[in-house]
Amino acid sequence: MGLFSDIYNTVARFFRPQEEQGDASKSVAASRLKLVLMQDRTNLTPKILEQMRGELIDLLSRYVELDKELLELDFQQEGDQVALMLSIPVIRAKDEEEIEAALAGVNEEAGVNEGTEEEVDEQSGSEDEAADETDNEVQTVTTPEEMAASKKDEEVKEECQSEA
Amino acid sequence: MTGRVIVITSGKGGVGKTTTSANIGTALAKAGYKVVLIDTDLGLRNLDLLLGLENRIVYTIVDVIEERCKLKQALVKDKKNPNLSLLAAAQTRDKTAVNAEQLKGICDTLKEENDFVLVDCPAGIEQGFQNAVAGASEAIVVTTPEMSAIRDADRIIGLLEAKEEITSYKLLLNRVRPSLIKSNEMMSVDDVVEILSCPLVGIIPEDTGIITSTNKGEPIVNDDAALAGKAYRNVAQRILGEEVPFLDLDEPKGFMAKIKNAFAKLKAKV
Repeated sequence: MGLFSDIYNTVARFFRPQEEQGDASKSVAASRLKLVLMQDRTNLTPKILEQMRGELIDLLSRYVELDKELLELDFQQEGDQVALMLSIPVIRAKDEEEIEAALAGVNEEAGVNEGTEEEVDEQSGSEDEAADETDNEVQTVTTPEEMAASKKDEEVKEECQSEA
Repeated sequence: MTGRVIVITSGKGGVGKTTTSANIGTALAKAGYKVVLIDTDLGLRNLDLLLGLENRIVYTIVDVIEERCKLKQALVKDKKNPNLSLLAAAQTRDKTAVNAEQLKGICDTLKEENDFVLVDCPAGIEQGFQNAVAGASEAIVVTTPEMSAIRDADRIIGLLEAKEEITSYKLLLNRVRPSLIKSNEMMSVDDVVEILSCPLVGIIPEDTGIITSTNKGEPIVNDDAALAGKAYRNVAQRILGEEVPFLDLDEPKGFMAKIKNAFAKLKAKV
């Protein structure tokens, strides 16, 4: 009967732990939906996003040593404007020589700067250190833009804020 | 007189386009405006059923286009409200029987003599959608707080934005279940509005009364006691330019709701 099942559900629900009650399900739905809508609206497939992520890592690691594992790339929406958020934990800033070397490598061959890769891997091995460094991060923010107006040619203006 | 042509669309099927069309149309007619409802879901017509007019249809929109009758002959007047009439879809034909130009022509003619022409759009984004939108200058996008419906609504909004003739489009959030929102199992109205970034024209609570009203062929706006009916009447008022606050769906109703509410509060403390 409706009344009894209502009471039963209410009571059962009361004793179930919080997480099981679908607390997450609404926010899971919202975040899945946001991501899929971004992909729908921009034609940015997961593959292209991955490529973009890789290229951004290559670019930025010429200047700073980053924790590639903890790099996050996602979209945020405010009204009908969309921002691309890139959050990268910085392990340490590079000194001039290293930057010049990296840039020289880029000039020689337009490719990945391999010099820094070893150091980064060493660092990201230890989780504690990486966690300590997370407040020390670079945020790259593209200017919000009308997604409807320009779908593919994403105009990117970068704004770097770093506590380092 | 030049009336307003509003298309009611959604992308996804089964979210309540036809119910919304029937109820908004009835509410506007009750408010004293002359309204024509056009069912453009050729081959899958249902608006006649929701209005209880299924036995009175002689001619359909295809008969008008193929000049077997005059437009006026095909309009079926509502039983109760002479301000409301229906132009039914053909049940034996498919969406290719009509083109956008023809539908625009019909809308243009009808808006001369009516305050509102409401076009009930079929699901999908193909020819049927293009036809339904052709004559409209405003749109109401119906969705529910479910992922698939919202995604499809987003697609529809994108298509509407690309149409110059559509000067305004608004969101109608249907089948909202406050109890599920409260327990974080359903996306809230704010979530949906934020995701779609589209202004709201109405929030309709899930109401079992919709089933019985469909059974009877009597739109729920005619039921003064039903919450969904009240929500639809509010939508009509907003369409008319009045500022009506959205219904507070959180209000506890009845004994069980109060107990549930008390439990929820208790739980929040724990």
